Amino acid sequence: MEPKPLSLPLKLVMFAALIIVLFPVFWITMTAIKPPTDWNASPAIWVPSEPTFINFKTLFDPDAIREYGVGGVSQSATKAVFGSLTASITATLLSVAIGLFSAIGISRYSGSSKATPLIILSGRMFPPAAIAVPFVIIFSNIGLIDSYTGLIGIYVAVTLPFSTWMLKSFVDDLPREVEEAAMIDGRSRLMAHFTVTIPLIKGGLFATTMFIFILNWSEFMFALVLSYSNISTIPVQLAKYVTATAGTLYGVQAALAVLAMAPLIYVGYLIQGHLARGMTFGAIKQ
Amino acid sequence: MHNTAAIEHREVSPPAPGALTITPPARRGLTRKGIARVLTMPGQIVSVLVLVVPLLVAFYMSFTDWSPTRGSLFDAGFTGLFNYEELLIYDTRFIYAVIRTLLISIACLSLEFTFGLGLAVLFMRKFRGKSVLFSAFLTPMMILPVVVGYTFWMLFQSNGPINQIVTYLFGAEAMLEWFKSSHLAVLAVIITEVWHWTPLFFLILLSGLNAVPENPVRAAVILGANPRQVFWRVILPMLKPVIIVAFVIRSMEIIKLFDEVFMLTRGGPGSSTETISLYIYKLAFSDFQLAYGAAAAFIVLVGSLLLVHLLLTPVRDELLEGSH
Repeated sequence: MEPKPLSLPLKLVMFAALIIVLFPVFWITMTAIKPPTDWNASPAIWVPSEPTFINFKTLFDPDAIREYGVGGVSQSATKAVFGSLTASITATLLSVAIGLFSAIGISRYSGSSKATPLIILSGRMFPPAAIAVPFVIIFSNIGLIDSYTGLIGIYVAVTLPFSTWMLKSFVDDLPREVEEAAMIDGRSRLMAHFTVTIPLIKGGLFATTMFIFILNWSEFMFALVLSYSNISTIPVQLAKYVTATAGTLYGVQAALAVLAMAPLIYVGYLIQGHLARGMTFGAIKQ
Repeated sequence: MHNTAAIEHREVSPPAPGALTITPPARRGLTRKGIARVLTMPGQIVSVLVLVVPLLVAFYMSFTDWSPTRGSLFDAGFTGLFNYEELLIYDTRFIYAVIRTLLISIACLSLEFTFGLGLAVLFMRKFRGKSVLFSAFLTPMMILPVVVGYTFWMLFQSNGPINQIVTYLFGAEAMLEWFKSSHLAVLAVIITEVWHWTPLFFLILLSGLNAVPENPVRAAVILGANPRQVFWRVILPMLKPVIIVAFVIRSMEIIKLFDEVFMLTRGGPGSSTETISLYIYKLAFSDFQLAYGAAAAFIVLVGSLLLVHLLLTPVRDELLEGSH
């Protein structure tokens, strides 16, 4: 059917929805560039009187904010940014690599084990709070608590169902004949996967990697309960941000929030066509 | 391509004499089963190591009175079903957390579905700037839950912009103390969740709508159905699997609701916005009642598995088979 154009009332509805969707993003961004005098003004100031990058600077140089007569931040965000990058990138690469093997295994040889996909998927149903408790105990016994190794291990486990199922949906889309043709050329079955299957799902592999990165970068609860003094991530830092002197440093917190969300919004737009696929374990394709 | 099919076939059953005219290339490397095992092994190891083992530990622990001060897990006293009995019968805070989580889930899912479907239907129309608007409407779901929680915490401050709008519309006396009233705090949590995840419903339902075949719709129009009838009687029933998948996925996630609430209210005022996850978190990591927390976690785990199983039954095959 030929799509009908939007009538004026519907256009207004759409416009209102757009405002609602974008307003929180607008607000946090504006707060991030507010000078300290505007942070907690009453009534709230919508657009900063004198936009400044001092909040961002303070994140990495805790004393920078003092030029405004406000006490410094107790902790620099450098460690949290480093921690988020380390944990997210390593865990993403591992999760996608393991997921890729599992995906090919499940998609191409599903006759061998019907249980594998379900076991991997069931990992997604556990509430993080339920596995956080035993993890803390096990990790404190084997010395993995407060370490990136432990955190990365959990991230891999938690995102593995997503990477496996998302990649499986890309492998499923590929006709088996392409691998069989490679085998006719004398390659072994395993080599056929490496030389044909993987290059052909390159786009899907990229989308999956970005999607898993979004999940790891966003993770909060495990990082919160596993980190004491050695490790930190941006979400944990955001939750903990308290100052030595002043109350809450709205602007500085907002700057960290913007720093945390900006890469995800960018990455999200790159793979927006595949977001539904990732979230629904490949059941919904765009 | 026919030849490749014949080779594939050869493995399963021996060919009739003389049926094959070409000699298949010599097999190198592992057998089918061997490869399947090699490929899925790492995933299985990770799942067992990082999911099954901790769950077994938690399961064992839930029957004890272990706490960090008691030293090794093996020094814990065995208390049988005490923790479970306590939780399910006497711990009203837990029972309320379960009921509250379910109510929040129902409210969020129905609102997210309604708004998501509405938006998706709008996007079936023709208008300018569609692709830019499409991207804009997806923005919330790309933002970290913690940032969403923090942002809405600022929006709901007594001197924040939401109260400014409320005051502008209804006068200064209508200003709301969002985090001091238990009802308003729950409402704030729901608003935040709905804002964050409506885009997922929008995205899923839109791809479902785009996949609706044209013929049944045309047929209905020719038979004299009005647009409303076409939507409710023809299009919506065809969307059923997609809708179920969306609900299952979202309910799996919302049962675990934690990050946003932690940032918004920390469960307060009192325990009026405590979700199951937040309660378990407090039990285990502020009160250090780890064994009790483990029992609570297990009840939630079994409950959510049952719930997902129930919801998933009608679409399980589709979800498992993917494109086949």
